[in-house]
Amino acid sequence: MRSFLRLLSAERLKLAKSRFRWLLPASPLLAAVVGLLSNPPAGAPPRVEFAVVLSGMSFLHAMLLLPILTGILASVVCRYEHAGGGWKLLLSMPVTRPQLYAAKYALIALHLAAVQALFGALAAAVFYVRGFEGPLPWDMLLQSAAGGWIASLPLAALQLGVSLAWSSFAAPLAVNVVFTLPNILIVNSADVGPYYPWAQPLLAMVPRDGETFGALGLPLESLTVTVLGSFIVFLAGGLLYFQRKDI
Amino acid sequence: MGRVLSSDLLKIRRKGLWLLAVSGPFGIVALQALNFGIRYDYLTKKYADDLWGGLIENIALLVPVTVLAGVTLISSLIANVEHQTNSWKQLLALPVPRTAVFAAKFLLSVILLGVSCALLAWGTAALGVALGFGWDFPAVKILKISFLPFLASLPFLALLLWMSLTVRNQAAPVAIGLLAAVCSLFAGQLPEFVPLAWPLLAAGPPSGLRLAVGGGVLLGALILLVGAVHFERRDVD
Repeated sequence: MRSFLRLLSAERLKLAKSRFRWLLPASPLLAAVVGLLSNPPAGAPPRVEFAVVLSGMSFLHAMLLLPILTGILASVVCRYEHAGGGWKLLLSMPVTRPQLYAAKYALIALHLAAVQALFGALAAAVFYVRGFEGPLPWDMLLQSAAGGWIASLPLAALQLGVSLAWSSFAAPLAVNVVFTLPNILIVNSADVGPYYPWAQPLLAMVPRDGETFGALGLPLESLTVTVLGSFIVFLAGGLLYFQRKDI
Repeated sequence: MGRVLSSDLLKIRRKGLWLLAVSGPFGIVALQALNFGIRYDYLTKKYADDLWGGLIENIALLVPVTVLAGVTLISSLIANVEHQTNSWKQLLALPVPRTAVFAAKFLLSVILLGVSCALLAWGTAALGVALGFGWDFPAVKILKISFLPFLASLPFLALLLWMSLTVRNQAAPVAIGLLAAVCSLFAGQLPEFVPLAWPLLAAGPPSGLRLAVGGGVLLGALILLVGAVHFERRDVD
């Protein structure tokens, strides 16, 4: 545990001066703009109105940007070693490969959590700025932000594996984008959507209060299987690959 | 120039670039095959009076974002061939003008993306025939939605290739390009003169098409020129 924490702080140091953090607020900010400009149906109860606004924000943020950002983060945490030939150096230290994998994974997960926290905060800000009546629907907001985080963790595991395998920055992202773009159609399908790992962040983030459409608004239980299943497969695959990889 | 290009073509062998160029159109056609396959009765009823038009409309929906994502990834992957092997100094020490090096990389990406567009046109026609829409496909319309969004994306290709070639860290160009690709999906609300709206306009009705394609080619040429001048004068590390 101790060496894991040291690895984590070493990983943090490597990224300390990197400017990639400017990327993190981009998607939540764009989503906030959408939230401020969208037109919820008039006359509905405030909670439903806000659910519609939150859906619009989730669409922009989670249909493509959140899965793609997951891939970018995975490429970023591996870049330092790929660029400087650092793998040999790092792995000759007294650390195990699963520890290193876990440290890099934790770093991605932490950054994704920051993005989702910002999304939640901005969604709350949209609630107050637009002057919705009644109390802030905390349960809906938390479910949306945390759900998106959990649903993007399997993708982070896959992308970390692919980024470890390829030394190029863009090649792992190509895999990511090729699988993420079909979301545009797949989220409309109630048959395919629930089983497609890349669609889960959006499906998890759209509030369940509004009307159901396609694969949206399905009960959380039906998504859990896909998220958990893909998480196990992707994490095990990435870890097994990294364990046996010739550095 | 020709020999620089042919050496560039050699360098991208087994780097997955051709695979990426094929996977874009393949993905679009496969998705629409799935879409029409699952909802065949509903969609053929919806587009009963113009089956081909319906298919083309559905294909065109996915083209702009795919083209922009492809432009981003291909320019970064092409630049990475040199970054990865630290071969800039060696390449630029050869007796070829730097502008030729720069132009060859641009031409290489145009070739890759052009092949991609041609495959999309072929795949669209093949999918329509396979779905039983008959052999009288509207060839001009298919070629338009396959190639024009790419022409409208030329400013992005020129800019992203320039950034990818000059900046070693690919995070910025790739992130900017992918962000632009995603935003282009929602670019319908933007005014027509914003370049980000052009790929979408170029796949749409003729009204905005001329501005999008003409502006795309002109602005693309301008950025390419500025990029080439900068590339010629800059210090190589």
